[in-house]
Amino acid sequence: MEIEYLENGFKFEKELNQLDEFTIEFCSILNELKLNYVVVSGYIAILFGRNRASEDIDIIVEKMDFKKFEELWKKLDLDCLNADNSEDAYKEYLVNNESLRFSKHGEFIPNIEFKFVKNNWDLEALNEKKIVILNENIFYISSTELNIAFKIYLGSDKDLEDASYVYEIFKDRLNMFKLEGYIKKLGIMEEYKKWKLNLM
Amino acid sequence: MEIELDVKELEGFKEKNFKDRLAFIKKYAEWVKKSTNKEWSSQQKKIINK
Repeated sequence: MEIEYLENGFKFEKELNQLDEFTIEFCSILNELKLNYVVVSGYIAILFGRNRASEDIDIIVEKMDFKKFEELWKKLDLDCLNADNSEDAYKEYLVNNESLRFSKHGEFIPNIEFKFVKNNWDLEALNEKKIVILNENIFYISSTELNIAFKIYLGSDKDLEDASYVYEIFKDRLNMFKLEGYIKKLGIMEEYKKWKLNLM
Repeated sequence: MEIELDVKELEGFKEKNFKDRLAFIKKYAEWVKKSTNKEWSSQQKKIINK
């Protein structure tokens, strides 16, 4: 694996799959509108090579006013799967901390799960985000430490496998103090110890 | 006919299956780290774009 480690992120090239392409396409619009966002969860493992499909790509975005959201809505050449218009999407979903789902026209999967920051963990993901330069395309992802901790917290087999994959890829570069700090704050020290034992 | 299920035995299988999966993921990650980006990403593309 050839990755250039930047001061605050990663630069690399790969043969893009449809999840990479969809993420790049969506994030290029967020970049254009200068929105503060971060891609989180399962796509992080997939970005770095985990070989599994996914139904969605999760994106957390800093809260914005309706005017800005409408600008985004108009630029997205996608179907919104759970709202018919920008007003419903904003007022019925985003401000109520519900996610919007966007897919390509006439398709259902994969889709982008798009939501406003709703708690301190989301805020931490935004504040600690890392830049990815993938085949010259720029987007932002959550830190590997936060990604691993949160996957252990979620705790399904799939989540624990994702955490294990990201850990194995980056174990020589992880900030273990930070990772274990998240583990303590999430109150999952026992789960973490069990997970680590399974990795040996 | 009633099927007799040994739930404890099934739990054991489940646990072993999960450990096997993690062992495979570890081996796969080691392979990705040793491979060129072109090698692993072209294989990944075949699975994801199915």
